[in-house]
Amino acid sequence: MNKLWTSIFLTAAAVLLLLFFSNDFGLIDIQETAIVVAIGIDTAEEGEGYDVTAQIAVPSSTGSGSAGNVTVKNAQTVGEAISELNHETGWYPTLVHCKLILLGEAVTETDVFRVLDYFLRNDAVEDSCLVAACAGTARETLQAQSPVNDISASAIAKVLSSEAQETGLVSVTILKDFAIGYYSVGKSGFLPYISVQGEAESQGGGGAAPTAEIDAAEECAWLPSLKRNRWWKPKRQPLPIAAPVSSESGSQGGADSGASGKSGSADVFQASETMLFYEGKQVALLSPEETLAYNLAATDTDFAYGSVTAEQDGQETVYNLKMKIGKKKRSLTFENGMPVFTFTVRANARLADTDRASAILEVAKTQIADDAILRAAEKKFEQELSSAISKAAAAGCDLFGIKQRLYRYRYREYAAFQDSVLTAAQVHYDIRFTSLK
Amino acid sequence: MERIKVRQLCFYFVAMMPVAKLLVYPATLTYQSKNDLLLSAFVNCLAEGAIVALVMLLAKKSGKSLFALLENTFGNITAKIVYGVFALFFFASALLPFMEHKNFVLQVMYENVPSIISFAPFFFVCFFACVKGFKSIGRMADISLPIFIVAFAVLILLAFPHADFAALLPLQGASAGEVLRGSLFSANWYTEAAFLLFFLGHFEYEKRASVKVIASYAIGSAAVLLFLAVFYGVFSDIAIRQQNAVAQISKYTTSFTSLGRVDYLFIFAIALVMIFRLCVPAQMCVHCLCKSFGCKPMLPAAAVNILLLALTVFFNYSFLELQTLFTQRLWFLFALFAYALPAAALLLKRRGAHE
Repeated sequence: MNKLWTSIFLTAAAVLLLLFFSNDFGLIDIQETAIVVAIGIDTAEEGEGYDVTAQIAVPSSTGSGSAGNVTVKNAQTVGEAISELNHETGWYPTLVHCKLILLGEAVTETDVFRVLDYFLRNDAVEDSCLVAACAGTARETLQAQSPVNDISASAIAKVLSSEAQETGLVSVTILKDFAIGYYSVGKSGFLPYISVQGEAESQGGGGAAPTAEIDAAEECAWLPSLKRNRWWKPKRQPLPIAAPVSSESGSQGGADSGASGKSGSADVFQASETMLFYEGKQVALLSPEETLAYNLAATDTDFAYGSVTAEQDGQETVYNLKMKIGKKKRSLTFENGMPVFTFTVRANARLADTDRASAILEVAKTQIADDAILRAAEKKFEQELSSAISKAAAAGCDLFGIKQRLYRYRYREYAAFQDSVLTAAQVHYDIRFTSLK
Repeated sequence: MERIKVRQLCFYFVAMMPVAKLLVYPATLTYQSKNDLLLSAFVNCLAEGAIVALVMLLAKKSGKSLFALLENTFGNITAKIVYGVFALFFFASALLPFMEHKNFVLQVMYENVPSIISFAPFFFVCFFACVKGFKSIGRMADISLPIFIVAFAVLILLAFPHADFAALLPLQGASAGEVLRGSLFSANWYTEAAFLLFFLGHFEYEKRASVKVIASYAIGSAAVLLFLAVFYGVFSDIAIRQQNAVAQISKYTTSFTSLGRVDYLFIFAIALVMIFRLCVPAQMCVHCLCKSFGCKPMLPAAAVNILLLALTVFFNYSFLELQTLFTQRLWFLFALFAYALPAAALLLKRRGAHE
């Protein structure tokens, strides 16, 4: 091959490689794509199947994003609902940016992987997206209006952020981890349980309920940029918010906004409770205190606040402690042929606040918590941990990975104890709180 | 055209050999060997490492090409036939990696499902490499080494904090039969010894060349084992669904939430090295055809690449069947050509009748 051909080949190879890697021919027309940021799944209100709500981000020329919700009703599967979304709205739904899957309470009463397996089968959704259960329906939760964020999915994602996990207030789960738990020997998992709590009315609040259906034409008012866009063909490809209420196929599409009301009530999302699952079904609910104890003992939480009551100078006083976990360990051993599960926790605590006025010297020495407070904290921690493990064991949920430890580290005993280890294991607590002296 | 240096062989084993095992191989291995995938992979690495050592011993003792050795032992016609048979083997062994890589590119790098033609440019690159011969493999190895080291290290470091290595326990959670089956059914990913056999006589055996090549092979194998351990640590019981493993392991780093998937930069870098590695069996096939028919590489290179493109299109919707065929049915062919025949090459006459 002469030099000319070599040069031609090299140039052609370079250009073609560029095209090969750059996805140059696969550009997405943003005007025709529904960017789904959250999916809510409920059991059908009427009939069988599921009501699937997609929260769709709407880009705005002002830079402040907003979102609209589209609900496809009575879909037999989540996949069918996503397809239907395309039929109903004319927009092609892209799930790449879906960061939240919200399960309505009723869905959690049956095996949730009846609906979640769609996201495992479909690589269009990253398995790093958050999964949560919610009180009531996912549709209503996604319609709630956060006072700090226009898009409710973003507000929920903030509540479930890794920072929140590190402070122990919520137990965050992503789809991958939840699926691993489900398919593991323990067949268990947990999801943060989100509830919407109505807060103070914002200024000029008109009292519009968060779940109110809003007229489609009225909603278009918050989409000036899209209305102005001449490339958008409203008849052929209607906006999701203009989706018809019903269709001939029998499925129904509802449309509402998660962000349309700039006035009215603002809602706060709480996720301090944790729903426990066994074989995909909800089996128990951990209280906020139990959730904190679980996080301190078993998850990435290293830093948290908690309150304890201790007696000082003959008076019951509430102390708010700032805790830093130095060491946490769970181990499964066998004593006299029976399983023993041991929690080892070492934490440093300092006073953050009390419920009584203190002398200035006491305020100055806030880094020091005296022994009575530390022992009270240890006792409280042990109580909450004990309560969490009992609740989980009674429900068959391998929340603390006892069965998994049995399988991994004590495989010989696995066959004998696989069905009983959760209830048969004796639990030891080796919890020590220290403070600066 | 057909010369390669020992240094480049070493770089090949360190950088290009592991990338072929970073896509479908980990999930396939998990399917057979479950959490004992490392044992299966270790068996393969050990067996192939032994064959690599034997081939290097042959290189030390003879310094001749395989064709010359065959010619000495069986005559010219037989040597051409053997090369023709190996050409078929290399062609077959190129097909599954091509399909793997095509799926990887189309699934990971494209937002929507693109046309299969998006993968076609690869065949121009492969054609060019086939025409250029072994020298291009050496150059590709030179380029691949720094790219691979940086990209692989970053991806592993990003994935490491999310890996739970206890998921690999209990040891022997899978039965010995499952572990062995995992090894045998992944034979199609272990064809490097056959490649080395055809490099015989095309590199100058220098002092301690065997040690260098075997050490390089060990480093490449260690990289594969490390990747498998991290992969299973990250995905545990759902590892089996993770096709395109290299694109999956590093995506859970939380800092990406604000920056986006920065790891894609390194995945692209690995994909580039994969392209180089994909060309190698096709290049071997063309080399064998040239020797068999005594022709220049242009025509065989064109024919091989057109055929591979046609088969890639033909099997576009049959990857699973093709994978099952190659892994579960034809594993013995890979074992024969990549393990048994290279080892048997030691029995060939090292001196010709006239020497």
